[in-house]
Amino acid sequence: MPRLTGLFDSFDNLDQISMEAIASWLKPVPQLNQLEDYLANKILYPQAISLTEPDMQIDLSILREALRMNGPKPGFQKNNALLGDNPFLNVTLRKILIPVKFLNFVPDLMSLTLVFIDALLLSREKKDYFQDLWTIVLTNNIDEIVGSILLPQFDGSGGVMNLELQSKNYEIRQGNLMLVPCPKDRCEIAYKLQKGKLLGKKENAFEIYGGKLGLVIDGRSA
Amino acid sequence: MKHLAPLRMRVEKDVITRVARVLVGKGVLNVSVGQQVTPPEIIGMATISAGFRTLDLSTLLSVSPQEVEKLLVKKIGQRIYKGELLAFKKGWLIGGKKVLTSPTDGVLDFLNNKTGELKIAFLPKKVNLPAGVYGIVEVVDKERGQVIIRTQVTRIYGMFGSGRSRDGILHILGKKDGLISKSAIQTEYDDCVLVGGSLFFKDAISACISAGVNGIITGGIDAKDYKGMAGGRLVFPKKLDNDIGTSIVVCEGFGSVPIGTDIFEILSGYEGKFVFIDGNKALISLPSPLSSSLVKIKNTKLPELQNNDLILDVGQIKGDLELKSGLKVRVVGNSYLGEQGKLVAINDSLTLLPSGARDYLVTVETARRKIQVPVANLEIMV
Repeated sequence: MPRLTGLFDSFDNLDQISMEAIASWLKPVPQLNQLEDYLANKILYPQAISLTEPDMQIDLSILREALRMNGPKPGFQKNNALLGDNPFLNVTLRKILIPVKFLNFVPDLMSLTLVFIDALLLSREKKDYFQDLWTIVLTNNIDEIVGSILLPQFDGSGGVMNLELQSKNYEIRQGNLMLVPCPKDRCEIAYKLQKGKLLGKKENAFEIYGGKLGLVIDGRSA
Repeated sequence: MKHLAPLRMRVEKDVITRVARVLVGKGVLNVSVGQQVTPPEIIGMATISAGFRTLDLSTLLSVSPQEVEKLLVKKIGQRIYKGELLAFKKGWLIGGKKVLTSPTDGVLDFLNNKTGELKIAFLPKKVNLPAGVYGIVEVVDKERGQVIIRTQVTRIYGMFGSGRSRDGILHILGKKDGLISKSAIQTEYDDCVLVGGSLFFKDAISACISAGVNGIITGGIDAKDYKGMAGGRLVFPKKLDNDIGTSIVVCEGFGSVPIGTDIFEILSGYEGKFVFIDGNKALISLPSPLSSSLVKIKNTKLPELQNNDLILDVGQIKGDLELKSGLKVRVVGNSYLGEQGKLVAINDSLTLLPSGARDYLVTVETARRKIQVPVANLEIMV
């Protein structure tokens, strides 16, 4: 039987995902046995695409958990340094790697990027402040940089980040997420944080990668 | 623009193939290579060695274990037949009367007074092996008690399944979209192959195993139940064979999905007839009921067998084919799963679906409605 390409082709352990974990991303929460049948049909008919918005939400939830399950494991680098990083997250180069074929099934790049952030970055233990900045790369025969992610670290409640990009000012409050357009290859930003730090500093200016997505600022992590 | 879709073999009519008929125990085969056989012809006889069955009479009669012995109608050591009175408890005005009959032929072997459990030893039984098909005997393997017969069958390819190759009389339980629960499974379905509707519940599958049902054909199954019988994994195509005591072929997918009309119509024509089912290969073989098939069987040569082993070359996906109006198609995925119909139109431009995805839409005319589905969610039926 030839394999047909699909959103979940990159994973061979989808059947091991817990239904409770998938359901935790969904509102309203569907019945777990229906969710299990849905996932099983995705494995059986990998080429099929979702027709409805609720089905797309389930697909994105499955993808979050699949990425999480197949993301970098603690201690991996220590034991297998030669093998480098994970297919979806290069920790050394701080890149999120999104296979371009995923866009055939989830055309909204922002939704797809959010899934990768939720699965791979949000609950990730940060070992140094360089992990506050990630580059988003669409992987194919030729990779394409489409933007950057900033993860400001707020100290407590009520943190605010003021950002200036291409002469425009933006305010990002703690717990919020914002997409700022930044279509150039490289964009200069300047920021100032109240009750928090980014890249170890309260205030700084530097260049980031831009692209067709832009700059994602995720203030949701504590 | 050219749109391709996978070509799925669902039904293959009048195929010359080999089937294996195997004795259920030690016995004799009374056919020879080259012999022509007909379905009722007895080609061997086996003796099933004795086993036993334990009945918890204390629970069944609702009495203490010590009281069981005096309620037995037969004494230990006596022979009893299936359906014969085994134990009787008088009731009162408000009820409590209990009548127990023997579930099997056997000898009352032992009663445990501490637990109230009765052991019935089975009587050794002689079982005839009918040919089941019109065909020509190709191999007689006396060591394995197996006869391989060249015959003509109609093959049905399910999507997936579980269980080794078995056979039995086909019985259709109801409509193609019915839900099959435990209450639908009766003891007389022993050795049958049951055709359900859109879903066999777990308790129905368990009841089939208890009743000695040889096979189950269904449109859908719950993923959890299938995982339970396939070693906890969902891997397609399957890498490891497994067996839970009955063979299951699932024709459509997971959840409640009616059996496709193409398959159900053919199965309906085989009600009460002898069929083969191989769950691990997701294959159902329906032997030709016509004696005239012997002409084709005689004139068809098959590749040589190796080590007398029956290895079937089965596959469902036969490559891709260009989608064209008039083709018979089947919908896959989680919306409209298993619906079948005729492709009537293909859109020229991409459509933005409510999910946010984009694809070319096609219009499919089913038996009761017209639906629009993306090209990616179609299979061409053969």
